[in-house]
Amino acid sequence: MTAADSSTAVDVARLEELADVMLPAAHGMPSASEVRAVASFLDEVLGWRDDLRLPLIKALAALDPATFTVEALSAYLAEDEDAYTALTTVVAACYYLSPVVRDQIGYPGQVAKTYDPFAYTEWVADGLLDPVVERGPIWRKAPE
Amino acid sequence: MTYRADVLIIGAGASGGVAARHLAEHGFDVVCLEQGDWPDRSSFPGTRPDWELAIRKDWAMSPNVRNRPEDYPVVHDDSDIEPLMYNAVGGSMIIYAGTWPRMLPSDLRVRTLDGVADDWPIAYRDLVPYYDAIDRQIGVSGLAGDPAYPPHDDYPLPPLPLGVAGRRVAEGHNQLGWHWWPEPNAILSAPYDGRRPCVQRGVCTSGCAEGAKASTDLTHWPKATAAGARLITGARVNRITLGSRGLATGALWLDHDGVEHHQEADVVILAANAVGTARLLLLSADDRHCPDGLANSSGLVGRRLMMHPFSVVTGWWDDQVEGWQGHFGASITTYQFYETDPDRGFVRGAKWALSPVGGPLNHILPMRAGNEVWGSDHHVLMGRTFGRGASWAIFGEDLPEESNRVELDPDRTDSHGIPAPRVSYRISDHSRRLMAFQEERATESLRASGCQETAVASMIPYSGWHLMGTARMGDDPASSVVNSRQQAHDVANLYVADASVFVTSSGVNPTCTITALALRTADLLVQRRREQKVPA
Repeated sequence: MTAADSSTAVDVARLEELADVMLPAAHGMPSASEVRAVASFLDEVLGWRDDLRLPLIKALAALDPATFTVEALSAYLAEDEDAYTALTTVVAACYYLSPVVRDQIGYPGQVAKTYDPFAYTEWVADGLLDPVVERGPIWRKAPE
Repeated sequence: MTYRADVLIIGAGASGGVAARHLAEHGFDVVCLEQGDWPDRSSFPGTRPDWELAIRKDWAMSPNVRNRPEDYPVVHDDSDIEPLMYNAVGGSMIIYAGTWPRMLPSDLRVRTLDGVADDWPIAYRDLVPYYDAIDRQIGVSGLAGDPAYPPHDDYPLPPLPLGVAGRRVAEGHNQLGWHWWPEPNAILSAPYDGRRPCVQRGVCTSGCAEGAKASTDLTHWPKATAAGARLITGARVNRITLGSRGLATGALWLDHDGVEHHQEADVVILAANAVGTARLLLLSADDRHCPDGLANSSGLVGRRLMMHPFSVVTGWWDDQVEGWQGHFGASITTYQFYETDPDRGFVRGAKWALSPVGGPLNHILPMRAGNEVWGSDHHVLMGRTFGRGASWAIFGEDLPEESNRVELDPDRTDSHGIPAPRVSYRISDHSRRLMAFQEERATESLRASGCQETAVASMIPYSGWHLMGTARMGDDPASSVVNSRQQAHDVANLYVADASVFVTSSGVNPTCTITALALRTADLLVQRRREQKVPA
């Protein structure tokens, strides 16, 4: 459980079970539990988005890990969109905060880059725009 | 003692900031009332790990989702598009993409050229000097010589990088014989006017922490206040007041604590966007002078709302292009299908802008459209698409219809108890034909550029950034709200500076034209100051 108040506590073990169905080990990627996605990042995610806590708890109460499938998750969207959104958002956020997962998909985050603002002169000189310019104006004249 | 300003501006966003700076620099005593606060760039989420979570709640573009005290709810149950906005100094420029296209000459003459809607009472050439001036004030990055436009001044800064995706699509268009050009952006490619350049982080629409993307809190308000303008934040206007001669005398406003104040002024300028301005004009109805709303003898206040139907066509290559990075903004644009071609079954057209596609959550929890995939197939989808894509963002020209409108909701209110605006809006059959054609061509574009896979998100509801047309400009008081100087026909000292005055929407992002028109309105006020009627 996370959080002191039992009415707002999230059943971490139950969430991990659901997360492993949503994000299993497959195609060279680890499962959610293999990277300890929920265990490591749930508090952080709910710290940023506490508004997701109650609908997440609702989803956990509604979905039984013993019978949970991807098809059941899809069906749950029609049943309770807010709770569905909370569950999918929290699971995805925890998983893609994992450095292991980020490394495997090649995502370093939104990083600052430097560039030469005058590099455009090279592709202009190479003629990339020439066909566009050679076709001439395409704007439509209008009376004043 | 009551203090009366020369000019009261309501709203400190794009148009309000531009007008305030120009008027203050020309000696006017300016007061501005803004319901939001100064943005704190250290709080912008783009550099934080929770960025993609924040843009779904506290940094959502919808005021209904953010639900901050400075936001007002917009009732849109009866609208195909959800209106989006941001309430702060700088206004919705805080969250706009920053693309900076001008309108085209044909955009202001659609009745004459295409037999639809109405012509504007001004022409493209009236706007050109103001477009040029605004480009310099803002610090626009771009490349002159685009054959989709009449020749105009060079941009102050070189274009932002094409990126791998931009380059590939440019080459694809060269193969197709289609137009493309580097998109002009209100985003600095090099240091300018004390601001730092873009670092290609790709988070422009949740606030630019670098300050490279132009917004008037950076580009205009510091200069306006240095010239003497007074900006009062946390000030929510609930009524424009009228005097005995039928002139505006100022506005009533509420502070954070709900205490009401009256700001008097000789001239009032509304700059609150096409939903907020219409709302205020309707809120300012009085039984004696204007029972249907202020400046509304035409009955058009709130009507002819336009919001640009918006589709996204995304393509994915079979290798990495770092599709999460780059300005957002756009790298390249095309006007290949912008002007009318009668063989297409519709008139007018659309402008496209090539943009990044975001981080992992945007990929798998699409806010705009698309399907979520869970289970082992999730990893297949991510492996095939993440970091490998780019999107054409397509804005179609939205022709005005009087049934698309802003009214006051009888039930919902903002946090001060002021009636909320209610938006009724339907995408027309004409727009649907126009957008379907553009989506097909954009798919061809990305296929020709080497994309192995494409997908269309058609006419996305969560896309009402471009709010236009609810107090249209015109020469005839019976069929328009303001004249060509954006002065209300009914109230000689009331002006509208925002996109409410748009007669038609064009097919381009509106902020460049909003600011050019605001500068023109302020400049004409300066030139005609001795003729301006003011209350006794």
